[in-house]
Amino acid sequence: MTTRSSRSRIALALGAGALALAACAPSSSSGGDGGGDGTTLTVWSWRVEDKAAYEKIFDVYEKAHPGVTVDFKPFKATEYNKILATGLAGKDGPDVPQVRSYGQLQGTVASGSLVPLDGKVDLSSWDENVVASAKGKTDGKLYSVPLARQATVLFYNKKLFSDNGIQVPTTWDQFIAANDTFLKKGITPLAVGAKDDWTLPIVHEVLAGSRFGGTDFQKAVTTGQKDFTDPDFVASVEVLKQLEKYMPKSVTGVAVTDAMTLFTSGKAAMYPGGSYDLATLQKGNPDLEVGVMQVPPPSGAPSGATGTTAGWADGNFAVNSKSPHQEAATELVQWMATPEFGQLVADEVKQISAVPGVTYSDPVLKQVADDYDKTGSPYLLLTDFRYGSPTGTDLLGKGAQELFLGSKDAKTVSTELNTGVMTWFKPTS
Amino acid sequence: MNRRTGLLFVTPALALFGVFVLYPMVTAFSYAFYEWQGTARGGWAGLENFSALLTRAPFTTDLPRALLHNVLFFVGTMLVQNTIGLTVAFLLHRRARTRRALQTLYAMPYLVSPIVIGYLWTLLLSPTFGPVNTLLTKVGLESWALPWLGDPDTALWVVILVSVWQWIGFPVLLYGAALGGVPEELSEAARVDGASNLQTFRRVTLPLLVPAIGTVSVLTFIFAMEAFALPYAFGGSTGNPAGSTDFISLLFYRTAFDSGAPDAIGTSSALATLLFVVIFGGAYAATAVLRRHEKRITS
Repeated sequence: MTTRSSRSRIALALGAGALALAACAPSSSSGGDGGGDGTTLTVWSWRVEDKAAYEKIFDVYEKAHPGVTVDFKPFKATEYNKILATGLAGKDGPDVPQVRSYGQLQGTVASGSLVPLDGKVDLSSWDENVVASAKGKTDGKLYSVPLARQATVLFYNKKLFSDNGIQVPTTWDQFIAANDTFLKKGITPLAVGAKDDWTLPIVHEVLAGSRFGGTDFQKAVTTGQKDFTDPDFVASVEVLKQLEKYMPKSVTGVAVTDAMTLFTSGKAAMYPGGSYDLATLQKGNPDLEVGVMQVPPPSGAPSGATGTTAGWADGNFAVNSKSPHQEAATELVQWMATPEFGQLVADEVKQISAVPGVTYSDPVLKQVADDYDKTGSPYLLLTDFRYGSPTGTDLLGKGAQELFLGSKDAKTVSTELNTGVMTWFKPTS
Repeated sequence: MNRRTGLLFVTPALALFGVFVLYPMVTAFSYAFYEWQGTARGGWAGLENFSALLTRAPFTTDLPRALLHNVLFFVGTMLVQNTIGLTVAFLLHRRARTRRALQTLYAMPYLVSPIVIGYLWTLLLSPTFGPVNTLLTKVGLESWALPWLGDPDTALWVVILVSVWQWIGFPVLLYGAALGGVPEELSEAARVDGASNLQTFRRVTLPLLVPAIGTVSVLTFIFAMEAFALPYAFGGSTGNPAGSTDFISLLFYRTAFDSGAPDAIGTSSALATLLFVVIFGGAYAATAVLRRHEKRITS
């Protein structure tokens, strides 16, 4: 075991956490917060690469709140979960921790380490799928403020498209024709790295999200009217198999880093990924002209289906229930729900802010945000099917590999996904 | 030196061992018997975490498969690494002049971190940019240019063979030392009596190597059951592709740190305990059998 906090500490944390939860009111904190008497708030995060950006952002806050110093302390992303769990269980945790979203938040909520924010932060005008990321599943209370929205997108190489006389497709037939043209010219149409199973549910959302019907399907599945054996969902998995010929050869042996290299080096025309990939792609080749598009609905998609951009919230901030500066910490988190903070996140961290009404100077980010606002849908397997084990994303990732390898068909993959998640999933009526 | 002074000398090491090895082990063991909500410990769970490993998805499918892979890893390593290792050690033993240099050469790859080895081989074997398949195609062996790490039929064996490649120096060194301990007079006497080289090796040298073979086997068993770094570098924590390079330690890692399940600490501790029991039991049983065998040949 790597959790090195002692048992008594954890037991204490349980007791203290429960007490703090029950008794915690904003006014009951130790006095002196929020005034001008020198409070230092520590903020923990897993975004080491964004340190400079956050320091700039918190400078703005410090100017408006004299006496408050915000100390931003990032840790290595892969170690963060362990570090945070230990920090929150002990006394030396942060006042404002960055916490995971949706299902991965639940362990932290269950340990009683976070202060409920209902009544303190108003997120009523926000996208409900974004707000859902910040809530405890069992008690429905709000435990954090979402920071950013990520979205699944199809990146494309603008130059390769124009050089080969290809327009951004608006129908499925045009999309297939574009793929065929690239294939004939010896350019890999779709850069997919199926060796890394975690990327495949995202690839599935990008290429076939509109085939199973985005938001409508989510509503039907979460209320128990449909499940993953639904013919539309099975057909959406089948779309992956149909498009395999446009992916690199032996796709299950190709790592996602190889796929990105294919795309950034101009050997592949399109790369299905997430908005978080943008910075990596631009760094990989600064001269690359990256565009983003929505894949048109595949033939047979439910009537009225449009191309869709699937999204989820990521990087939420919360208040530690054991922080001695409850009031000041809450005030900081309240600020994180304002358009001022959202705009700073968009400008400095270069992410799509979770706050509604933010504008983007980067054209690619702007388009992703616009697409999501217009025809967004939840990235269903992450937003609703990561609350238990096995997770929906794990199951589809592995299943899609088996689909490419030819050892399972779309129907079997969907059925196994369904069987797996239904071991713990309870539909709401 | 009396007993008390002796104890005084041992105390610092014992304290470090206690704090950094024994204590975490005992806590992990105890964690396995409690209910967990994140990092908050709940009530006594008895054997519930253990029964979850045997009855709950994904463990029902992942655990037997991972265990099978650990066993194959052990068998493969025994057959390939230790056989080649013994052969190489035997051949080197006769080359007094170049032995040292060659031993060092064989041991070279294990000075490199398994993560780096895994990464390098992933690049070498990549179907898009990898030189291995390019070379195979160039010399007319297109049908051999397989997606080595992308096909479940080959991926596990790639992991095993690369591990063999990395660790081959280990049996070479151990067997080399053991061969050095075999009195030269014995094989000479056998040869004088008219035994062929093969007969001398089989009837004289090999029986005297049994203790070394035993040690190497037990260490290989522990090594194979604990396999983590190299499989992780090749297939990530999920044993890509499609779980074909999954091992118990990876399953433990996934359960403990990736799953996000509220009871992750309980089930992963149970899994760690189970793995410890398997390794300890296996190593203990093997050592006992070997001891008996050694007694028989030395008496």
